[in-house]
Amino acid sequence: MTRTSPAFLKIIGCPLMTGVLAFVLLAHAGTAVAGTSASASVAGVPPEEAMRLGEKMYRDGILPSGKPLQAIVKGDVPVAGSQLTCSNCHQRSGFGSSEGTIRTPPIDGTRLYLPLSKFKGIPLTKQATELQANDLFRPAYTDETLARAMRTGVDPAGRQMNTAMPVYDLNDRDMAIMVFYLRNLSSGLEPGVTDTSLRFATIITDEVSQEDRQSMLGPLQRYIGNRRLSRTSEFSVRTGAYLQEGTSRGMRALSLVVWELKGPSGTWQGQMEEYYKKAPVFAILSGITYGDWAPVHRFCEDHKVPSVFPITDYPVISEKDWYTFYLSKGLYQEGETSAKYLNSRDDLSKDIRVVQVFRKNRAGTALSKAFQGAWTGLGRRPADDVALGEETLTADFWKKLADKYRHTVVLLWLDANDFPDLENLVKTKAMPEMIFASSSLLGQRLYLLPEKARKSVYLTYPYTLPQDARKYRESIETSLRNLNLPITNLDIEFKMRSLFSTLTGALAAMRNYVYRDYFLELIEKTPDLTVVQVPYPRMSFGTGQRYASKGCYVVQLSEGPKPELVKRSEWIIY
Amino acid sequence: MSFRWTVPIMSFLLIGSCLTAEATAESKPSYTRTVENYQIPDVTLINQDGARIKLRDYLVYDGPVLVDFVFTTCTTICPVLSSNFMNFQKTIIAESGKARLVSISVDPDFDTPKEMKAYLKRYQAKPGWDFLSGSRTDIDRVLRAFNVFTRDKMDHPPVILLKAPTDSRWVRIYGLIGTNKLLVEYEKVRQ
Repeated sequence: MTRTSPAFLKIIGCPLMTGVLAFVLLAHAGTAVAGTSASASVAGVPPEEAMRLGEKMYRDGILPSGKPLQAIVKGDVPVAGSQLTCSNCHQRSGFGSSEGTIRTPPIDGTRLYLPLSKFKGIPLTKQATELQANDLFRPAYTDETLARAMRTGVDPAGRQMNTAMPVYDLNDRDMAIMVFYLRNLSSGLEPGVTDTSLRFATIITDEVSQEDRQSMLGPLQRYIGNRRLSRTSEFSVRTGAYLQEGTSRGMRALSLVVWELKGPSGTWQGQMEEYYKKAPVFAILSGITYGDWAPVHRFCEDHKVPSVFPITDYPVISEKDWYTFYLSKGLYQEGETSAKYLNSRDDLSKDIRVVQVFRKNRAGTALSKAFQGAWTGLGRRPADDVALGEETLTADFWKKLADKYRHTVVLLWLDANDFPDLENLVKTKAMPEMIFASSSLLGQRLYLLPEKARKSVYLTYPYTLPQDARKYRESIETSLRNLNLPITNLDIEFKMRSLFSTLTGALAAMRNYVYRDYFLELIEKTPDLTVVQVPYPRMSFGTGQRYASKGCYVVQLSEGPKPELVKRSEWIIY
Repeated sequence: MSFRWTVPIMSFLLIGSCLTAEATAESKPSYTRTVENYQIPDVTLINQDGARIKLRDYLVYDGPVLVDFVFTTCTTICPVLSSNFMNFQKTIIAESGKARLVSISVDPDFDTPKEMKAYLKRYQAKPGWDFLSGSRTDIDRVLRAFNVFTRDKMDHPPVILLKAPTDSRWVRIYGLIGTNKLLVEYEKVRQ
């Protein structure tokens, strides 16, 4: 979360429009917009439909008629609501945001209708507001003053709000829906939350080894067991007007349950539904599978359950899905990187031929698909695919391949068991210009590449180089030892540190406002994490960003008996 | 200092600073205008079409150049800055004016050409408005050179820079500005 000196705080108030229509609004607001349990209709539509229509206006700037909402910002800048939606600044949760010198206040259903006073419990009069002289403090909104604010930019104290807050052109019916939506926004307790507890789950699938399971679960259990949403942690963040709220009821104990998923992935959905029905959880933290994370991803989208940093090579690649944060795009990122790197090499012919050799399994498919998508997206002619079943790859196979694809780029998306000794590829005169492989698939085998092949072989490497990360890995080993936790898979344990670095700030800032949308937003506002805390050169966040580490190196092996990885590229993003 | 005393003391300081801010709010415009000299680093960035752009050369133009600093997933000031660029561009095109608009990303890890292109489309950008990103190192150099670098991208300041074709100095607008006032500033550097 960004913090700003109070002297620079500016308010962007809530929207609403010029209107002569206060009396019409009263009719709507006073009856239909009555509260969260309203069973009566809102402006002629059932409450659930009103929430859906309100959400569409709030998040997408689309009116119930399907037309874009119209607005004016900065006094004279006309914008379509779709360019400057309510949620752009106030966020999905309605809890607001801050950036640079701009503070966007919360407009959730609870706080809008409470006075915002510098001194807790003292209601604000207009006079007191003027005396306190701070835009952030104001009397409680009513449905009428809320509508006036959206239409004219005047707050309940009668002051003009900062003009970065647009004023909106909403008719009475749409306004009634909008007010109803805001009244109900982020109110009540969410699943997995009680007044005194907050429950999380993690997920482990049954093919995961005991060692890897322990590397994920041990540190996570220790982390959750040692933490509560406590007054002490809240104190340190109580530096702003809004942050002073919600501190008195904040003692929630955190708990973690393990959802063990067994059998084929097609049955996971049912198993998760059972767990969830029995005891709902607020969010899913980490989790591990060697397979595809997609079933869990889908479950989280369906139930709006946040899921943070599962350990998987196979995340779902989506630009729109909302609820899962991934560490990276996994193998997909490596496939894309090889395409971007080749495209950046001006010394290669623009018509260079590329062939990818892969097994028709999950890894081969992910890497080859990612390469092909990125490569053709860059305007290049598609690579040839040599897709293999389960046949053994003989020396004859490699010789024929080398003969067929002379002076090409060869992408070997194969794991350590399949990887050829390369002699047949590099000793011929028609040797490939370049050979690419994935370091994640090769694992430690990559250090066994024969010396004479090293000059031709390029590897995608999506982490900080080992020599640069050494001291940070050592510090993790030390801290695990101090906690009496076994060191079973340091790569996973380093990834868990990424989760803790992210969660700590989000949980502390969440305080008593335990809402999933807000939790996701707090993670989105995490300042960049660097090699000190995470196994990547950088993890970065932002609204709608769901893959925290976004780059990958291309490396080669140095010469000599103890080779190191040598960068052949910067951290490749595009 | 004990926690017990920290709260009242901080509250006192907070009140003091708020009163100061309010007292000066009416007498000052919502933005500050200064004239600055910047040493533009010799970097090659990438634009929304994937083209490589040498920044120094690109900022030399036979009309006014306007630069702002945004990122595509920004939730607060960037939509306001970009709406302003959009309306500014529409206005000057309608009046047969001329200007080069340059948005520079403060989030190079996410803002790929694809993202930048979609962002410009969202703000109905016409030719003459480009969005530039680059390597983390190069972008940091640019941000430092223009005195807009912040450790956390979410802290980045609302700044628009304007330069006349015949002048190497930059007018720095700090704070959010409406289109009409921006047009006034534009007219000043145009002359």
